[in-house]
Amino acid sequence: MEEKLGLPYAAAPVTPRRRRLPKRWYAHVILITAIIITGFPVYYAAVVATQSNTQVFNYQLTPSTYLERNWDLVIHERQLPRYMLNSVIVALVMTTGKAVLSLLAGMAFVFFRIPGKWLIFGFVLITLMMPTEVMAIALFRLVGVELQWGGYDAMIVPFIASATGSFLFRQHFASIPGELSEAAQIDGANPLQFLWYVLIPISWNAIAALFVIQFLYAWNQYLWPLMVIHETTLKPVQLGLRSLRSGTETGDSFGPLMLGAVLASIPPLVVFLALQKQFMSGFALTRDK
Amino acid sequence: MRKTFLVLTLLLLAGLTLLAPVQAQGCSAEAPCEIDALIGFTDHRLDWAVERAVEFGEMFPQYVVNIESFSDYEPLLDSYILSQEQGNPPEIMQLFEVGTQFAIDSGYFKPASDIIAGRDEVLGQPVDFDDIIPVVSSYYTIGGDWSSVAWNTSTPILYANLNILGEAGIMDLPTTWQGVEAACEQLQPMVDAGSIAGCIVWPNHGWFYEQWLAQQNTELVNNGNGREGRPTQVLLSSEASLNIVQWHKDMYEKGYYAYSGKQRDWSGAVQAFNSQQLPMIMTSSASAGGIMRNAGENGVEVGTSNMVYDEEVGWTGNILGGATMWITDGLEPEIEEGAMAFLLFFSNTENSATWHQVSGYVPVRNSSVALLEEQGWYEENPNFLTASIQLGESQVTIATQGAIFGTFVETRNIITQAIEDAMLTGGDVAEIMAAAEEEANVLLEEYNLLYVDE
Amino acid sequence: MYLVSPLVLLLLVALAGGGWSAWRARAQGAAPAVRQRAQLLALLGAASAALGALILLAPLNFCPFELDGDGNADRLNVMLGIFILLGGAFLAHRVASSLVGRWLRGEALPGATETRTGLFSGPGSTLLALLCLAPTLTILTLFLYYPMFDTFQLSTQLARLGAPRTRFVCMRNFNQLLGDPDYGRTVLVSFFLAAFIVLFSLALSLLIAQMAYRPITGGRFYRALLVWPYALSPVIAGIIFELLFHNTAGVLNHVLYSTFGLKVPWLLDPTIAPWTVVVASTWNILGFCILFYIAGLQNVPNDLLEAAAIDGASAIQRFFSITFPLLSPITFFLVVTTTTYAFFDTYGLIDFLTAGGPVESTTTMMYEVFEVGVVARNLGSAAARSLLLFGIVIGVTILQFRFSRGRVMYGS
Repeated sequence: MEEKLGLPYAAAPVTPRRRRLPKRWYAHVILITAIIITGFPVYYAAVVATQSNTQVFNYQLTPSTYLERNWDLVIHERQLPRYMLNSVIVALVMTTGKAVLSLLAGMAFVFFRIPGKWLIFGFVLITLMMPTEVMAIALFRLVGVELQWGGYDAMIVPFIASATGSFLFRQHFASIPGELSEAAQIDGANPLQFLWYVLIPISWNAIAALFVIQFLYAWNQYLWPLMVIHETTLKPVQLGLRSLRSGTETGDSFGPLMLGAVLASIPPLVVFLALQKQFMSGFALTRDK
Repeated sequence: MRKTFLVLTLLLLAGLTLLAPVQAQGCSAEAPCEIDALIGFTDHRLDWAVERAVEFGEMFPQYVVNIESFSDYEPLLDSYILSQEQGNPPEIMQLFEVGTQFAIDSGYFKPASDIIAGRDEVLGQPVDFDDIIPVVSSYYTIGGDWSSVAWNTSTPILYANLNILGEAGIMDLPTTWQGVEAACEQLQPMVDAGSIAGCIVWPNHGWFYEQWLAQQNTELVNNGNGREGRPTQVLLSSEASLNIVQWHKDMYEKGYYAYSGKQRDWSGAVQAFNSQQLPMIMTSSASAGGIMRNAGENGVEVGTSNMVYDEEVGWTGNILGGATMWITDGLEPEIEEGAMAFLLFFSNTENSATWHQVSGYVPVRNSSVALLEEQGWYEENPNFLTASIQLGESQVTIATQGAIFGTFVETRNIITQAIEDAMLTGGDVAEIMAAAEEEANVLLEEYNLLYVDE
Repeated sequence: MYLVSPLVLLLLVALAGGGWSAWRARAQGAAPAVRQRAQLLALLGAASAALGALILLAPLNFCPFELDGDGNADRLNVMLGIFILLGGAFLAHRVASSLVGRWLRGEALPGATETRTGLFSGPGSTLLALLCLAPTLTILTLFLYYPMFDTFQLSTQLARLGAPRTRFVCMRNFNQLLGDPDYGRTVLVSFFLAAFIVLFSLALSLLIAQMAYRPITGGRFYRALLVWPYALSPVIAGIIFELLFHNTAGVLNHVLYSTFGLKVPWLLDPTIAPWTVVVASTWNILGFCILFYIAGLQNVPNDLLEAAAIDGASAIQRFFSITFPLLSPITFFLVVTTTTYAFFDTYGLIDFLTAGGPVESTTTMMYEVFEVGVVARNLGSAAARSLLLFGIVIGVTILQFRFSRGRVMYGS
C-alpha cells in the first residue's frame, strides 16, 4: 500500500492469517448472538416492509406479500429516489468539500511559516467544541432569514469547513518527515503540486476515513434540513421519510415507512463497505498524536 | 482514485452554483405557474388531495398545483413560518383551527374575503359561502368575513369494537363518562384474563380537554373566549377544567384508560384499537375512513357514538376541529387567482362529499350533505353520520364556538403536559392546573407584548 | 436604578485583578524579573480584569445590576451579574498573565518557533498559506462564530420568530430557567442518558470487537451486519423502536406476554422510559464504536500479547494490562463522540420514540431547545437554553480531557 512511506503504523503486522476455527467457536457464538440481538430491529423493519398494516397489527414476524405495493408507493408515489438523490448530492458535495478544505488547511498548518499560526490553529480547534445543533436557531437567522438560502446551498455551505478534518490532516501531515517536502522543493514543485502529487497519494486512508464519517453525518442530518428546507423536491432522505409517516388521526402505514427506512440505510452501508479497509487503517494512523 | 476525487471536486463546484428555479412571467399552458400547497396528511387523504390537484391542472393548464405533505399540523405550521422568514413561502397552507389568531396576527396571509372581493365566482369556480354549515362558519368567520377557506372539519367520537363488547355482554354503546366507567368495569375480567390490554384510549391531546370544556359550557380564555377582545387570561382552574383532569386521572388510575406514555400519540391509539388490543377509542371522526377499512379487512364490527360527556353536568355541545386553507399575502395577482380558484374547486359540493367518504371528515356544505343523502351513503354507513349529528345538535354558545387566542398552539401543549403529569405523578389536580395556568399566562403575556399594539 | 454604579463595579474588579497580580508577583519563588516589575504587573492585571468584565457587561448595559423592584428576580439578576463580572475578569486576567509571564521569562509564545524542516518559504508563500486557510476560516467565522455571538445576543431578548418586534429583557430568560425545577430535571435526564449510553455502547462494542477483529470466517459479513444499525439515522431508530416497544401495540410486549405473561411499560413508566431510550440509542451507536475498536485492536502488536502469554498471563490479564491501555486513545475518542451523540443527536430518536415523555422523563436539554425554539418559537428562551447546554458540554469535554491526561497512551 502507498502509505508504507516510513509511516509508523504501516509496519505493524496484522495477525497472521492462521485459521484456528475449532478453537474460536465461542467467537462465532458471541458474534451470532450479538447479531441476532442488534439485527432483530433491522430484520423486523425489513419484514414490516413487506406487510400490510393489518399484518403489522397482528404481530406477524414473517415476510408477506405486500412488498410490491409498498414499493410502488414509496418509489413512485412518494418519490423516495428523489430524496435519496438529494441526500447523495448533498453528502458527496459536502464530504468532498470538507476533504478539499481540510487538506488545504492541514497543509498550510504544517508546511508553511505563518505569523500567529498557533492562534489560527486554536481558532479552528475550538470549533470542535461548538456543535451546530446548539446554534441551529441563530444559524437559521443567518442562513435562512438574512441570506435567504433554502436549497443545497443551505445544506452544504455552512458545513463545508471541518475542524475535525483540518485537525486530522494536520496530525497526519505532521507525522510525515520533513525530508519529503524538502525533496519536493528541490525538484521544483510548488506547494499545490506537492499537495497533489505527494500528500494526497499518501493520505488516501485518512481521506477515506474522513469520507466515511462525514458521509454518514451528512446522510443522517435531520434537525437542520427540517428547519431550512421547505421545497419538496429539495428535501433530503431523512425528511422524505417523515412524509411516509402519518402522525395525525389515522394509524401509521408502517410497511412503506419501514421499506423507506431500510432503503435509506443502504447508501451509507455501501459507502462503508466500499471503504472499509481504508477506513480501518485511516483511523489507525490518527492514533498518532 | 485521484480521478474520482477530481470529479467529486467538480461536482462540489457544480453543487454550489445550482440556482433556485427562475420565476416564470405570466401563466400559460406552456409555462404553467406553480402553486405550492402544504397539507398535514401523508396517507390516503394525501392521495385524495393530489388527485384533486391533478384534476385542477387539467381544467386550468396554466397552473400546476404541487401538494406538499407533512405528518402533522404543527410541523406544517413550523415549516410555513420558517419558509416565510426565508422569503420563499408556499402559496397555500392548511392551518389547524387553533392557529387562527396567530395567522391573523402574523400578517402572512391575505383574507379570503379580500381576494374574492364580493365576486360570486373566481375563474368560473362558484363562491357560495352561505352553503357552509353553521358550526363551521361561526368558528371561522370574524365579523362575517372569511379569512380562510373551510376544508376539513371533524369532531371527536367514540368508536367501539362490537365483537369485544358483545363478548362482555355490553349491548349499548356508552355515551357518558359514567357509562364508560360502567362498561370498563364489565370489561375488566377480560383485561385481567389478558385477552385485551385495557378498556379505552384516546390520544392525550389538549383537543379532547377543549371539547370537554365546551361540553360543560365553559370558556378557555377570558374576554368571551377571545371573541369579544384580546384575551389576557387563560382559565385552566375553572371547576369544569378540574373536573376533566380529575376524571382523566381517575380513569387512568383505575386502569381503564390505556395510556401509551406518549403525548399526541394519535397513531398509537388507532393502532391499538385496530389491532383489537383495546375495545374502545375516542378519536377524531376523520379516523372513520381508516378504522372502518381496517375493520372490514379483519371482520370486526365497529359501532360509533357521540363523544362521552359528564352526565352530572350535562352536554351543551362540541367544538369543531380540523383545519382551513389560507392563501399567502403578496402573491402575483394571477397566481393568487389560481390559488383561490383551486381552493374553491377543492371544497365544492362534489369534492366535499367525496372527501367525507374517503376520510370521515364532516362535509362542510349543506349541498354535500344533501348529495350524500341522495346517494344513500348514510344509510349504508351510519358511522359516518355520528359526527355530523354531534356538531348539528350542539348549541352555539361562546364556549362551543371555541376559543381564539395567539398562543393557543402552545397552550394546548401545556394542557396536554399537565394532564400527563396528573396521571403519572399522582399529584394534586388543582395544583397541577394552577401551575399550568401560570405557565400559559406568562406565554400569553409575552405574546401580547410582541404582537399587540399598546 | 443601579444597585451599584457600573463604574464602581469596574473599579472593584480592577482592584481585585491588580491586587491578585501584585500578590502573585511578590510571592516567594517568583522570578527576579517578575518581582522587579510588580507594579507594572499589578497595573496590567487591573486593566485586563476590568477589560474582561467590560467586554461581557457593556453589551448588556450592565443590566443585571439594574433593580426593578421585584426582590426575587433582582437577587437572581445580581447574582448572575456578579458571575458574569467575575467570569469575564478571571478569563481575561488568566490569558493576560499567561502571555505576560511568558514574555517576562523570555519564553517564546506558544507555537512561535518552527521545529520542522522543509517548510515552503519562497516569495508569496505566506500569502499562499493564508489563501489555503481562508475558506476554512471564512466558513467557521461566518457559520459558527457569528451564530454563537448571535445566540448570546438572542438570549437577552424576548423574541418570537416572525413577530413584529423584540424586547430586551436582560437576564430574564436565564432567571426563568434557574428558578425552574423542570429545567433541573432536564439537565439530570441529559446526564443520565449520556452516562449510560456511553457506558453501554463502549463496553458492548469492545466485547464484540474483541471477537470480530481477528480474521474469522465470515468476518466481513459479521462486520457489515453489526454496523448496519449505525447506517440507520436516529430518526429511523426511533420509529423502529416505537414499533417494537409501543405499550399496547408493540411487538415486544406481545411476545413477552404470550411467552411469559409479562408486560413491561417500556414507554409509559417515567422510570423505565429513559432506559428504553438508552437501549435504543446504544443500539444505534454501537456499530460506530465497534468499527473503531476493531480498527484499534488490529493495531495492538501481537508480539506483546504473545510475550505476555508465554509469561503465563491469562487472556483476561492480557486484556487489562496490554490491550485496554493500548486502546486508550480510541476509548477516549469514543467517549467524546458518544457523549456528543448522546447530548445532541438523540434528538430525532427521542422525538419519535417518546416525544420527551412520559412526564418529561426523556426530555433532554437538546430536545427542549428545539421544542422551545422551533415548535414554540420562543427564540430568547431557546437561546438561553442553548448557551447553558453549550456551557455544560464544554465543561464535560474539559473534564474528559483533564481526566484522560496522563491516562491515555499515545503511540505504542
